[in-house]
Amino acid sequence: MALNALFSQLLIGLINGSFYALLSLGLAVIFGMLNIINFAHGAFYMIGAFAAYFLMASAGIGYWGALILAPVMVGLAGMATERLLLRRLAKMDHLYGLLMTFGLALVLQGVFQVAFGSSGLPYPIPEALTGGVNLGFMFLPLYRGWVVVFSLVACIATWYLIERTRLGAYLRAATENPSLVRAFGINVPLMITVTYGFGVALAALAGVLSAPINSVRPLMGADLIIVVFAVVVIGGMGSILGSVITGFAVGVVEGLTKYFYPEASSTVIFVLMVLILLVKPTGLTGRGIEATQSAVAPEPASAQGRERVALMVFGVVVIGLALLPLTSVYPYFIMQILCFALVAGAFNLLIGHGGLLSFGHAMFFGSAGYITAHAVKVWGLPPELGILAGVAACAGLAALAGAISIRRQGIYFAMITLAISQMLYFVYLRAPFTNGEDGIQSIPKDRMFGVLDLADTTVLYYVVLAGFILGTLAIYRTINSPFGQVLKSIRENEPRAISLGYRTTLYKYVAFILSGTLAGFAGSLKVFVVQNASLTDVHWSMSGEIVLITLLGGLGTLLGPLAGAFVIISSQHHLAEFGQWVTVLQGAIFIACVVAFRRGIVGELAKVLKISL
Amino acid sequence: MTAEHDTMTRTALKVGVLNAWYGESHVLHGMDFDVAEGEVVTLLGRNGAGKTTTLKAIMGLMEKRSGSVEFGGVETINLPANRIGRLGIGYCPEERGIFSSLNVEENLLLPPVVRRGGLTTEDIFDLFPNLLERLYSQGTKLSGGEQQMLAIARILRTGAQFIVLDEPTEGLAPVIVQQIGRTIERLRQKGFTILLVEQNLRFATSVADRFCVVEHGQVIDTLTRADVDASTAKLNSYLGV
Ligand SMILES: Nc1ncnc2c1ncn2[C@@H]1O[C@H](COP(=O)(O)OP(=O)(O)OP(=O)(O)O)[C@@H](O)[C@H]1O
Ligand SMILES: [Mg+2]
Repeated sequence: MALNALFSQLLIGLINGSFYALLSLGLAVIFGMLNIINFAHGAFYMIGAFAAYFLMASAGIGYWGALILAPVMVGLAGMATERLLLRRLAKMDHLYGLLMTFGLALVLQGVFQVAFGSSGLPYPIPEALTGGVNLGFMFLPLYRGWVVVFSLVACIATWYLIERTRLGAYLRAATENPSLVRAFGINVPLMITVTYGFGVALAALAGVLSAPINSVRPLMGADLIIVVFAVVVIGGMGSILGSVITGFAVGVVEGLTKYFYPEASSTVIFVLMVLILLVKPTGLTGRGIEATQSAVAPEPASAQGRERVALMVFGVVVIGLALLPLTSVYPYFIMQILCFALVAGAFNLLIGHGGLLSFGHAMFFGSAGYITAHAVKVWGLPPELGILAGVAACAGLAALAGAISIRRQGIYFAMITLAISQMLYFVYLRAPFTNGEDGIQSIPKDRMFGVLDLADTTVLYYVVLAGFILGTLAIYRTINSPFGQVLKSIRENEPRAISLGYRTTLYKYVAFILSGTLAGFAGSLKVFVVQNASLTDVHWSMSGEIVLITLLGGLGTLLGPLAGAFVIISSQHHLAEFGQWVTVLQGAIFIACVVAFRRGIVGELAKVLKISL
Repeated sequence: MTAEHDTMTRTALKVGVLNAWYGESHVLHGMDFDVAEGEVVTLLGRNGAGKTTTLKAIMGLMEKRSGSVEFGGVETINLPANRIGRLGIGYCPEERGIFSSLNVEENLLLPPVVRRGGLTTEDIFDLFPNLLERLYSQGTKLSGGEQQMLAIARILRTGAQFIVLDEPTEGLAPVIVQQIGRTIERLRQKGFTILLVEQNLRFATSVADRFCVVEHGQVIDTLTRADVDASTAKLNSYLGV
């Protein structure tokens, strides 16, 4: 009986492994040709499942037709996406591709959520594959066996296509040297379009396969893609076969964990990733293609003297904020903006000045919130010690997460930080002290330092404002210190900085810890504002929001995070009644920022005024 | 093509006031030259003169270029690179461009056939027997000379009658240089038109009909093979030797 359960968990592992393999294969194929990590991959997987659903519901086309038609439809949509959007990114840093496809994923998932809510739509198992066979040691549902076999066939067919055919030779050659292949008379731009279409068609195929097992939901691909990123980090994207094998292997490990230690089943892949990175910082295959220098931030602040302009403007803004309680503006809203501006500022320190895109800053923001909330509520610590506990915990967390991720660059760094953050999300989801979905509510508002009564909104407001000013000045000080100068030169040209004798990894590591600590500080302050600590703050969408705030406000600017937070948080407030349309809007802002508006609000303003903000 | 062009020999390639830029930096400043059908023309010039850039601009590989590049009477200045390649120009770049993820055979068969009348694979192995022995090795595991042979061989297959070679002898042993010289001679006999960039003056004078001297992105002088002996001193001063 126990053996029976083991085998059925193994089977589930293989099925998940099939999806991991198909998705990471598509990611690898796309990355090879387009140099883009396709964050929208999960969304196309979801659309594949929905396409199958629609074909059935509106045209009466069943599973077998959908198995062919849905990938074709999604592939065509992917080709259109490449033509209209991704093509604009050619020759830009890889990170922009990640940001744009993240925005695209938000738009697509948001639209489907608006239309279908978050619950699942049923999709039946095709008649020919209902039932199962008893293999003696286990009962094998036919459909599940089919998924594994068919995925394997699709993977091998893809491998054959790329490694053994003429078309595949064009593809491999164009990956290496697109312009020469073009000079031979091959239409490389068309190949790029088709490749993207093919990659997302594979994702859609996985979506159709999964529809009868997992039901059809708008967010079915959102969490999956993060797991697939971890798979990609483990296996690298250099080889087709490597992606496939890693995908299946990771699925099996996950299945085994479900049997032997079910509590860890949702985190095991991330733990595996962390362990492998600790042993081999370059990943298993060691051929993970590193993004080159990430010069993501558009030329930032120049001369030293001009920097002071930013500080002066900041002073004026602060004075305005300090006078705010005299007006009738509702301070709660401004306090929230300040917390988000601070966490975005911390993130900005890393990307705008260190060139490192962390897609996991929610782990600091949210963790600090939990720790502070717990310290104040359960341990009964005074607010200042609660904040200290949260900040200290984040410094430690940043030291750990940084040690794991900092040696990888560009998109890999982004994927690793995202994966670590997702792992923590699952930990918090299960940990008893966080109260799961409910979060920690009604945080007591004691006197800070024994005198400041946080229950008084005006006092709280000034405390939060002081925290914001303190944090921002710390960031300013760091950027303009010798340390910040070295960081800048690393961002501009790491090999040169290394050759000048700087231990660049150490500098980046310190920057990461600093950034994580400050992000934690923002998270601790926010607890007293919103009166709770919940899973929302550790979710990947929060990491995305932090990125968005910074991008919109202006990468590498001092005032950008505040401007970005103001726009994003107020749009959330005012558009709350439109539900998921807000997600769609945020995704659209992401795309618009990447396509047309890379300096962000403050950056563009600074350019017009010819000053540095 | 108009009657004037048809006088004695037909023009295969006509480059007029060709300008090209790498980003903001202006590298070609009005290149002017042409190549007649069946002719072998060599671009000479110091390092950085703009020879490679000229070839890239002809192939449509420069992001920004202006002027005129007529190939077989077709204006190509506004065509994308892949359309230019299809007109029947075979290009062998300076860094050879052998693909490491392809084996020798795949490298050889990669460029699509654009015209009839290309060399057959037998012809090719006849010319370059080394390649036959290494057919299934990874492309970049070949020696430099073998890679050069492969880079030339693969464009002879396509039926392109116009061959563009960027420093085919660079870094090769004298025996192999001779072999490449013989290959070019055989191609000329077969009626191929060849545009060549060469630093090796001795090699260049042994194969070319005409020489265009390039400096600062312009053709500053044109010599025929007959002129060469008489103007060795002038050539040496152009090339700074
Ligand atoms: N990718 C590039 N980006 C910017 N400038 C370039 C680039 N490639 C070449 N250049 C510049 O353009 C000019 C012409 O270069 P080109 O490669 O055409 O010279 P060349 O005549 O082929 O020289 P060589 O004999 O050394 O091969 C040089 O000044 C060079 O510095
Ligand atoms: Mg050159």
